[in-house]
Amino acid sequence: MSNVEVMIGNQAIALGLVEAGIDLASAYPGTPSSEILPAVIDFKRRMGRNIHIEWSVNERVAMEVALGAAMAGKKAACMMKQVGLNVAFPPFIKSRAVPIRSGLLIVSCDDPGPQSSQTEQDSRLIATLFGVPVFDASSPGDARSLASWALAYSVERQTPVVLRSTHRVSHAREAVSLDTPTPEKGSLDEGLKLSNGNGLGIVTSGMSYNVVMDVLDELGLEKVVSLFKVAQIFPLQAGLFAFVRSMEHVVVLEETDEVLEALIGDRSKVFGRSTGYVPRQGELTYDVIRGIVQVVAEKAGVGAKFFSPDRAIEEAVSTVSFAPRPPKLCAGCPHRASFYAMRQAFPKAVFPGDIGCYTLGISQGAVDTCVDMGGSVGLAAGFYEAFHQDGPFMPIVASIGDSTFFHAALPLLYDSVKKGKQYILVIMDNGTTAMTGMQPTPQSGRRAEGTSEYAIPIEEAAKGFGVEFLRVLDPYDIPGMIKAVKEAGADLKQRGRGPAVIVARHPCLLYAKTGKNMSVQPPDLTADCNGCKRCIDLYGCPAFLFDESEGRIKLDDALCVNCATCQFVCPQKKKGRRERG
Amino acid sequence: MKWEIVCTGIGGRGVLLASAVLIETAISAGYRAMASDELGMSQRGGSVVSLVKVGTFRSPFVGRENADVILSFEESEFYRNLSFLKKGGLAIVNSRRSAVPSPVDALLLARKAGCFLVNADEIAGRTGSIQASNMAMLGFFSAFAIGPYSIENIVGALERKVAQRLFAMNKAVCEAGRNEALQRL
Repeated sequence: MSNVEVMIGNQAIALGLVEAGIDLASAYPGTPSSEILPAVIDFKRRMGRNIHIEWSVNERVAMEVALGAAMAGKKAACMMKQVGLNVAFPPFIKSRAVPIRSGLLIVSCDDPGPQSSQTEQDSRLIATLFGVPVFDASSPGDARSLASWALAYSVERQTPVVLRSTHRVSHAREAVSLDTPTPEKGSLDEGLKLSNGNGLGIVTSGMSYNVVMDVLDELGLEKVVSLFKVAQIFPLQAGLFAFVRSMEHVVVLEETDEVLEALIGDRSKVFGRSTGYVPRQGELTYDVIRGIVQVVAEKAGVGAKFFSPDRAIEEAVSTVSFAPRPPKLCAGCPHRASFYAMRQAFPKAVFPGDIGCYTLGISQGAVDTCVDMGGSVGLAAGFYEAFHQDGPFMPIVASIGDSTFFHAALPLLYDSVKKGKQYILVIMDNGTTAMTGMQPTPQSGRRAEGTSEYAIPIEEAAKGFGVEFLRVLDPYDIPGMIKAVKEAGADLKQRGRGPAVIVARHPCLLYAKTGKNMSVQPPDLTADCNGCKRCIDLYGCPAFLFDESEGRIKLDDALCVNCATCQFVCPQKKKGRRERG
Repeated sequence: MKWEIVCTGIGGRGVLLASAVLIETAISAGYRAMASDELGMSQRGGSVVSLVKVGTFRSPFVGRENADVILSFEESEFYRNLSFLKKGGLAIVNSRRSAVPSPVDALLLARKAGCFLVNADEIAGRTGSIQASNMAMLGFFSAFAIGPYSIENIVGALERKVAQRLFAMNKAVCEAGRNEALQRL
């Protein structure tokens, strides 16, 4: 009992990696993979291992660092989220054909849903398409053993191997034993799990396996259907084909694309995505899997116990009014001030946005696109050419965070400077990678394990590229920020050359842990309020409470951090300031 | 025996600490237990759901109308997650109100579900700190002695999960929550 620890899947993966004796771990943070690297640091210290650990500037760098180490004879692992694998694609594809003298494990965490990504994507599919061995983890404990096993597999065959997790595995919490060292070549938890004749067979992998087992238990089908669990998705073991051949009907439950289903190939008896039984998008939740299993059990003529939802619940709940809770930037978030200023300076601009907390600028009408890391800068350049070709000047105000800027935007910005593309780029510099849990950026001067390193200020990078209009200011100064954005626009028109860059610098409040600023008096919005709700529509701070009975705004004292930026948003306050001169 | 517990609330309400205590309690009592957390994109003020399963389950997912217990640390989140609650289940809701709206009351009655509105904020504020309202909720829940969730087991797990300097206060709030339940049961 004493050596059991409750941990999330990502910690379990780290445990498996450290147990397997990795020499190097590199990663770029991204939900749901971000907790693996810090846990590698933790287990390295606890087990007294010698491991080089780094946050790389992006996934491609993480993979190349790991690949280089593997080619030089080290056991290396790199970690990323599923869309990070796209960034790392060039070394990933080539890694199949370079001599790896030890092992290379690529941990790619998928986001079915997606919950925190621009798109769903199945890392198993990418690996399988290009012939890279891939394993699918089904639980934290399973992920720990598979991490170890997959690395051993890589070492033995001198080939890169992918370990796929999903957010439900990476973020599930369960007790994992610290005692039993994972065997170097342990047995995979796969194969025939239920054997009940050949009427209906279920083929499944990953978290779906565990969900199916619970659903079968609920519906009383665990003694009725046969089930085959797959851990090694590619290359597939022959046992699966024999299982499929022996069944009259087969249902394939896997996240998020058709991989096992496509490899099985036989559509005549498969209930899956290709035949319309499994949704093509979204997570295979308990309810989704329960629904599918009920339908196919009926089709296959097995099972009797059925769940039917009680819709009276929705009817009763529909009579109660409770506020929706869309995701919002924190109270006092500097990004909110930047977005407001951008919108005020150029209400009709095109606003290319990027990937991070600040994607939420969409609710302030200051983010129009969200394509990929660095996409705001590339799209801004494309938008400029499109409008320029047709004539009139169109203001384009792009936004990107500090970590994302270093991750992906350096070549894009350089290219724009070289070609003189006219757009405004607001780099929202809060000093950290806030969205994924406060990992350092190249500007932090801090390494993954806390030691210091050379820090690269964003403005130095921009200057080095030859950016001519460059301002660094605190977005809390909203009038100053509006002025700067307007001046940037005027400069583009006047010189006929861009881009103009504004670094909006204010630390993330969660990172700086500043809490409430007691030296500042929050503006009394209530006293002047005429109920116009402009603050709610354009600023949308979570600390705003609108008292419908009084028709006035109030500040929620528990949430308000006294940033006082809302004083610049209230038209009554603005009028008051003008009248006072 | 096995139980499915849904913890719901908003960021900053201690939902995840409560669910961590629930898992720890179950594991210390010799049960298998696991959890899956759903956090909104926003770190503060967004919806938080933590699904806790205790016993011989395989997955940390809770299906519709399968939860034995809903612990709602914020009233609005109770309505949002009510479809998790099974017939005959138990709901404990942090609220200043004395009753849920009548259509919901009628539904709960028809589904034979128990629902207790608890002013956990008030209990916590009076006993220690309003931040510890999650502990008042756990204390109230302990009065039902479901599975491993006795007050002794919960306080034992609490001692391992919270910082030493905060333990006495958290324990006091937890016990105050339990006393509130005992008076009402």
